[in-house]
Amino acid sequence: MQKTAMGLALSVTPPTTMVYQLPAQLIYQSVPRNPNPMVHINPLNKRQGKTVTLADRVQDLQNTAVWKKTIRQWGETAKLFDQLRISQVAMVPLGDILIDEDIQRPLDEKWASLIARPAQFDPAHLQVLRCIKRSDGKFISTDGQHTAAVLAALIDSGLLVGVTNWRLFEFPVQYILTDDLAFARRSFSLLNGKGKKKQSAYQMLRNTVYIVRIDGNTSDPEEVAAEQRVAIAESNQCFPVEENSTLSQYPGTFTNIATFESMNNAEIQLATAWHNQYFHRDPVHVSLFFMFKDFCREFEAAKIPFTQQLQEQLAGLIQNLFVDLSQFSSSVKEAHRIWHMKRYGYKGVWNDDAYGCGLMHLYKRFGGQEKLPPTLLDRFDDLIAFFDKDLLELAP
Amino acid sequence: MYHLYLVKGVGGRIGFGIATNVKDRNKHYSSHSGDIVTFPVIYGGIRSHAKAIEKIIKNELADCIWYVDDWKTEWLDKKYDETFLENFVTKTIEERHCKLKIIHRNYNFTLDNS
Repeated sequence: MQKTAMGLALSVTPPTTMVYQLPAQLIYQSVPRNPNPMVHINPLNKRQGKTVTLADRVQDLQNTAVWKKTIRQWGETAKLFDQLRISQVAMVPLGDILIDEDIQRPLDEKWASLIARPAQFDPAHLQVLRCIKRSDGKFISTDGQHTAAVLAALIDSGLLVGVTNWRLFEFPVQYILTDDLAFARRSFSLLNGKGKKKQSAYQMLRNTVYIVRIDGNTSDPEEVAAEQRVAIAESNQCFPVEENSTLSQYPGTFTNIATFESMNNAEIQLATAWHNQYFHRDPVHVSLFFMFKDFCREFEAAKIPFTQQLQEQLAGLIQNLFVDLSQFSSSVKEAHRIWHMKRYGYKGVWNDDAYGCGLMHLYKRFGGQEKLPPTLLDRFDDLIAFFDKDLLELAP
Repeated sequence: MYHLYLVKGVGGRIGFGIATNVKDRNKHYSSHSGDIVTFPVIYGGIRSHAKAIEKIIKNELADCIWYVDDWKTEWLDKKYDETFLENFVTKTIEERHCKLKIIHRNYNFTLDNS
């Protein structure tokens, strides 16, 4: 018999239900946090632009081994180049431009109409036309026919102040003097992909973030939303960086920008906060965003709360079985490879859904009691059997 | 049992690797080097943990790795010695609660009667 503070007697009855003891493999043990250098060197965390001189860039280039190798190759061929081969620029009446249909693509009317939409069209973004100038004085367009056609048609519609005849309107043309159409064809290929260094997903994101952060321009809601997503990740010490950059070795960095951009703010918050809480020593593995996007959507659809307890137990499971997400990913991919071969009899293609489903199967096998959406357990239903035996032997 | 090992090259350079069979692996190093090669430390445990620690070494010690031209090796620059690498691995195993334990020191296949 026990007594309350007020002296009233209480009868204590022993508990009739078994107390659930969390399996050891689901218990997360804290890992000491190291200072993250990215907090201070994050390239996106800028509020001011920076310019360098061309001389700086030249010096950077000349200091690299790859550039030195290129210059050695020039020395070996004893080749020099002629400034007459450098293209020139002239203002040319649009009516004088010819389009060689064998070189350029057919006019894409939808694309041209898209460029000309009043909400987006800004003549300041029009780019110089590229041409060859033949010995008969004719300009043959090798790049920019959509620009020229859109501009001419807008003028024809009376939309350019003070100009009525597009044929006489002069526009900047960059050209090479030649009658060689093979050159023009190569030039078209170079300008339209073959020789152009494409912007990476990271570079495009960086540009968007800088428009908001450095230029303070918030006129485009999509740009503002993209900057917000980055800010959420940064608040959890997660940082987008360029693929193969030296920064990608640091904790919290990620390079799978496309998946990141496909997530909403709540999903980014949950995923990056989880990473920062439990795996703050590691770069963000690509599986994190796939799994959390999947978890958020599946738990919500099933109206099951994705509890803090479950999040911590999943972290414990990964820590105890794999140390980190990178090794979890290798193991689940290997299990998926064998599973696919056994089930279908041929080597299958990796499916990113298997990250989340594989983790949930492991959670159940290792004694997890939290409620899970059935859709995460139905897919890849016997995948669990194909994980390493020495791992599965650890199950209670 | 799976293994994570540190290896000392004939010239003294320190490296690392993972293997199921350390005896065979040690023989391979020795036959390539033309001399007995020592594994100063061998850790044993579950495969996923050995592999994870190997990846962590490659990532966190990226600036210490020895390159042959552009080829990233599993050896460290000569300025990093055995103690440096062992301390790093020991600390990582402790802090990250890895299921790996030291099972041999100064191992080479001639000492292994298994």
